[in-house]
Amino acid sequence: MDQESVKILAEAIVTAGKAIGAGLCMGLGAIGPGVGEGHVGGHAMDAIARQPELTNVIVTRMLLADAIAETTGIYSLLITFLILFAL
Amino acid sequence: MAKKKMSTKAKIQLLVFLIAYVVVGVLNVKLGGLPPTPGEALKNVANRWIVGPSSGPWYTRINPMTIIMSWVIIGLIIWFAKSVNKEYSIVPSNKQSFAESLMEFVYDIVQSSIPDERYAKITFKLAMTLFIYIAVANLIGGFIPGISVDVSKTIAENGEVVRNVKFVLFSDTWFPPTADLNTNLTYAVMVFLISQYFGIKVKGIKAWLKGFLEPVPILLPMNIIGELAKPVSHSLRLFGNITGGGILVLTLSYFVKYMFLPPFLWGYFGIFSGLIQAFVFSTLTIAYISSQLA
Repeated sequence: MDQESVKILAEAIVTAGKAIGAGLCMGLGAIGPGVGEGHVGGHAMDAIARQPELTNVIVTRMLLADAIAETTGIYSLLITFLILFAL
Repeated sequence: MAKKKMSTKAKIQLLVFLIAYVVVGVLNVKLGGLPPTPGEALKNVANRWIVGPSSGPWYTRINPMTIIMSWVIIGLIIWFAKSVNKEYSIVPSNKQSFAESLMEFVYDIVQSSIPDERYAKITFKLAMTLFIYIAVANLIGGFIPGISVDVSKTIAENGEVVRNVKFVLFSDTWFPPTADLNTNLTYAVMVFLISQYFGIKVKGIKAWLKGFLEPVPILLPMNIIGELAKPVSHSLRLFGNITGGGILVLTLSYFVKYMFLPPFLWGYFGIFSGLIQAFVFSTLTIAYISSQLA
């Protein structure tokens, strides 16, 4: 094969690698926060059902716990953007 | 309960703002044009404007957008504080009661975590400053269109990487300083050092060092790694939310972006997520400091 087609093939392989890597990274990383925040929300619903007068306090604390559970999903997002755009 | 009506002055202001928004959006389409493919539109999303020699130690380069926007936000906050201070009275006006209820909200959280009075004051000042600064920075970079930079990298003749900087007016939001990892890492390391210093001051050096050997001495590496992982997660959470949110909105709406900024997307990523991240940052500051004092 001559130089030109080798170059084109190399670029295509790099793009394919980027696509597969980014897809796997974000796809698997999106499982965690979904499950975690679902649990937090479920327990918050239980607590509200027990004591409806504390709804405001419980919802504030639930959002705080949500943001902390979201962190590992954000790590996956960062690595995905690093793979797609800066590598 | 009777509904509160908007005064005529507020209605006129809102109308003017709406007309300006639509006009700016239409002008953007006419003068800018649409890019052909998503790859073309998102090519420059990870480049930053960096001034200085590209090889050499890290302290010879600066990021001018971060510095300029940091000073703009500091100026904004000081201007707001001065304007509240001018009309300071026992019967509070709207602005003063808003500022006071904000401070009381954070002060309640500090009071419930730190019983000691001297450290509670210092922690309250630290947490309140961080909360206001990060909230204003996220909101500015969240949904207000303003001046921003678009940086494209090209390779010059002698092989080095040259960044071409182009200023875009009002087709992208302002650049929030929290979108730069330097800002967030500085605040997280500062909170880490302050909490360790308070730990040494309250407990003494011997008891502080013994704290790493609890509950079982064989857990020493785990304790050290746990302490060192706090600034890492503290800073990367804020950085990922702001930068990642920005890139996500661009990806999801690269067509519509040139017509108007889609309000629901910017509403979630800009306002909601920005305010919650500011609140989480300051609450975690209080939690880290109070965990070393006990």
